[in-house]
Amino acid sequence: MSYYLLLSALLFAIGLYGVLARRTAILIFMSIELMLNSANLALVSFARSSGNLEGQVMALLVIALAAAEVAVGLGIIVAVFRSRESTSVDDLAEFRG
Amino acid sequence: MSAFDLLMGVLLIASALAAVTLKNAVHAGLALVANFLSLAVVYFALEAQFLGWIQIIVYAGAVMVLFLFVIMLLFDAKADVGLDRLPWMRPLAAALAAAFFLALAYAFSGVGPVNPLADVKLGGGLPKALGGLLYGNWLYTVLLVAALLFAATVAAVSLVQPQIRKARVKPQVLERDRELEEVGK
Repeated sequence: MSYYLLLSALLFAIGLYGVLARRTAILIFMSIELMLNSANLALVSFARSSGNLEGQVMALLVIALAAAEVAVGLGIIVAVFRSRESTSVDDLAEFRG
Repeated sequence: MSAFDLLMGVLLIASALAAVTLKNAVHAGLALVANFLSLAVVYFALEAQFLGWIQIIVYAGAVMVLFLFVIMLLFDAKADVGLDRLPWMRPLAAALAAAFFLALAYAFSGVGPVNPLADVKLGGGLPKALGGLLYGNWLYTVLLVAALLFAATVAAVSLVQPQIRKARVKPQVLERDRELEEVGK
């Protein structure tokens, strides 16, 4: 089994723990970035092991998508903070408001 | 497995653990920057030089600076607020993450070795080799991603636009209203 693939699986699991255990929206978002990066590491490892560059192309596209996701996500967090004065996901559990 | 592999593995896992456990949000953000930088080093070792530089510029540069700005704008840097709704949430999260890791490791067990020292022809992962693919078979995907980035930029700007304020009332008008009210009494 490949070392770097195992590493990427471990990073993904750590990111998953962060998403489940953190209580603030922005820190959950940072854990999601960690998971995206571990997927990129897996793609680059696949490109390396198969000698095919398309894995790296996919990782490049994932980085561009992550940039778009960060822009929208942080915009939502700032907008929610303005109306609720909080970004704790427990405070955001109601539909009202 | 070389000493480099071991060192990068330790760095990646330690910084990732720090990013998901530190109590101070700014510290967690900086740990994530360390994680992204060590990941860029791994990309260089895996013959993905262009991707490594993009990782440094886009992730460690632009994305994390944006994160740190928002953290400093919104909080006094506290990661833990309020009470746990479920007291056993953290152990449960750890157990689920461990189970997911085992499942992923099992799924990866059939894949061949990835050796950074082996001789593979990837053109070093330089733009010369990547560009032909990006503007060849992947052209329409690149265009779609460009459209998505544009839409996301517009959405982000319209989301954080300040609310439309009410027209400002002149102090003279307020004064007159108050006087009229007193006369009315």
